[in-house]
Amino acid sequence: MPESAEFMPKIVAFLCNWCSYAGADLAGISRMHYPPSLRIIRVPCSGRVDPFFILQALLQGADGVLVSGCHPGDCHYLTGNFVARRRFTVLHYLLEFCGIEPDRVTFAWISAAEGERFARLVAEVTEKVKKLGPNRKLRKELIDEP
Amino acid sequence: MNPDDLLRSRAKELLNSKQVRVVLGWTASPGSPVSTPLFARTEEDADRLKVDETCSLNLANYLLRFKDEERVAIVARGCESRSIVVLIQENQLRREQVYILGKGCTGVFVQGVKSPSCAQCRYPNPVIYDEMLGDPVEPAEPDPALTQADAEFDRLSQNERWEIVSADISRCIRCYACRQVCPNCYCPVCFVDASNPQLVGKTHNLSDNMLFHIIRALHMAGRCVECGACHRACPMGIDLMRFNRRVCRIVQEKFNAVSGVDLNYPPALTRFAPDDPQEFIK
Amino acid sequence: MNPRIITKDELNRLIDQLINTTKVYAPVRDKTGARWAKISSSTEVYLEEVNTRDPAKGFFFPRCELLLKFDQQGCPVEPEPPGATVVFGIRPCDARGLEFIKKFYTGQDRNDPYVRARVEQTVLIGVACSQPAPTCFCLAVGGSPHSQTGLDLLLIDLGNAYLAQPVSEKGEELSRTYPEADERSLKLASELREKVEAEIRTRIDTERLLAILKDGFNSAVWAELSKRCVNCGICTLLCPTCHCFDITDESVRGKVARYRVWDSCQFPFYSRHASGHNPRFSPSSRFRNRVMDKFYYTVEQVGEISCVGCGRCSANCPAGINICQTVQEIMETK
Repeated sequence: MPESAEFMPKIVAFLCNWCSYAGADLAGISRMHYPPSLRIIRVPCSGRVDPFFILQALLQGADGVLVSGCHPGDCHYLTGNFVARRRFTVLHYLLEFCGIEPDRVTFAWISAAEGERFARLVAEVTEKVKKLGPNRKLRKELIDEP
Repeated sequence: MNPDDLLRSRAKELLNSKQVRVVLGWTASPGSPVSTPLFARTEEDADRLKVDETCSLNLANYLLRFKDEERVAIVARGCESRSIVVLIQENQLRREQVYILGKGCTGVFVQGVKSPSCAQCRYPNPVIYDEMLGDPVEPAEPDPALTQADAEFDRLSQNERWEIVSADISRCIRCYACRQVCPNCYCPVCFVDASNPQLVGKTHNLSDNMLFHIIRALHMAGRCVECGACHRACPMGIDLMRFNRRVCRIVQEKFNAVSGVDLNYPPALTRFAPDDPQEFIK
Repeated sequence: MNPRIITKDELNRLIDQLINTTKVYAPVRDKTGARWAKISSSTEVYLEEVNTRDPAKGFFFPRCELLLKFDQQGCPVEPEPPGATVVFGIRPCDARGLEFIKKFYTGQDRNDPYVRARVEQTVLIGVACSQPAPTCFCLAVGGSPHSQTGLDLLLIDLGNAYLAQPVSEKGEELSRTYPEADERSLKLASELREKVEAEIRTRIDTERLLAILKDGFNSAVWAELSKRCVNCGICTLLCPTCHCFDITDESVRGKVARYRVWDSCQFPFYSRHASGHNPRFSPSSRFRNRVMDKFYYTVEQVGEISCVGCGRCSANCPAGINICQTVQEIMETK
């Protein structure tokens, strides 16, 4: 591993199997470059993503979270991403309210054909999270004192 | 003329005519700063019923204990009636199981101070009822001081908001009183009690506390009626309404929905619209 | 050990001196009234409230105690020892609570090393109550607003000075250099004691209650009494003597720690077995357990009832359940 003083954020990415994961796969097959910041978790649908997962990722030490699914109207399960969209709305604005940097958690709709868009999004998200620095607010540390 | 006379006589009539098996209401609790729930089954019980500003809980919280009864009566103020609507919408109760004695509410007072949830209440009168005890009350203007405090909080920087929120939540001792007094929290196994796998740590680590409160607020989205029972129950004085108020505001602004005001309009997060806002989604 | 007189200024100086050498905890002002906090100056001490919202049991039995820890390489990391601690401003009921915790965890053949370490390193300076809260009933359970049980030093506010009664060697150490109390001060302290004790009128026949509870496990009264209870656990968490715990292991990015945390018999899965069977699942069985434990089980275990009459459970119960009322109704069933 090359020596680097530069902070490479760890971003957990929940990608829906039918669109976004395939889009990421396309980016890989097409040998597109994007920063090695993602840790991808494949889910059947963006509707499977419980806000709990997103928060748990931050607690475990992820610097950022990316959640991506099919475009509304194109969900493989027809309505999963519509249901998810409302959930994500509440989570996004509530986290912002609590003082968690909004750029740490990004939501996107990326289709299976959008390999290049995926690569660009990852670069953009990585840059944003790099600027914010490591996640310290929600990152869990083992406590010592009562 | 005792203000509770009408409640007591109606309760007795309902019990004697066997329309209901029990009337859920309140009674004084000597030696306690708040009133205590009373589940009246006899005339003697009914004579002790009352409802006033010391009735701090959301009485609908107890309804699910009676879900095997054919029919129960309940004294419901504005927020409580909305909780009943949510419980019916979520198939926890049938409408015909509940006989609602509606009562307009002028707020819960804790040691002479109006509870913040009540100071900003927009639904003091029941939204459904089988009969009203007395006249509806005029909704009071939301307390401008509290509205201003909310606006000021919004103007603070991100880090300042985090400091305030995390300082408050670090006081949490994980007693779960907020969860226990909430009518919406009826899951047989709450996510904090899950042990296989364990989802939330059991210490009062700030990260685990934040996880609990943020997720609980999210579970309340589209369902919370802002009754303030959680806020008043908290032994550590945490401002729990802060989260709930904001979640209710998000739901109202983004989905144009208010919890529990219309039986025909199920909770916002169980529905969706093709044109739901997505300005924050890339 | 002879009682002394300490003026309020001298007391503040003493506290500030102690702050230089040890950790000092005292009640401080809070939006809930008063709560325990580590102080860095005697000016932070706030004794205007009858009692703190949170109990003092955390000084012997913390809400969360690190038992052991391993770093990422798997090497054990020794937890920090508690260190010398002074608890100032503890009320006699809370001190009795701490005495119970000490007895329960280190008395007879029990030897909890964590509690023992804290007991040995803590000095308890109590302040007698000058007025009871409406929910106080220490006299009904064998206590008093001027009780010395569990304390190292008891301070009684005489107006512009305190009467300081040493109870243990540690208390004697602290108060040795102050002038001995005169007859007038002793008499005044005694009068103040009578006055405040007269204001607490609740009485409980704990012997009769014990007899009723011994026979009353299957009584119908429990279902009735517990109907309003929401099993939130506030009563147990704020109680000076509730002592149940859970052991939990946590692992974060390769580091592992084991903690002892407070648990509550009111929590739904408190008594859940690994098989899934839960003998105390019903709300009424959990409610019954608390009352039984306070007024009967601990008598069998350590020879005394564990209720100290602080009234926190009654004052903070969201459902308005009052422990004295509950106990009275139980006694009326027989």
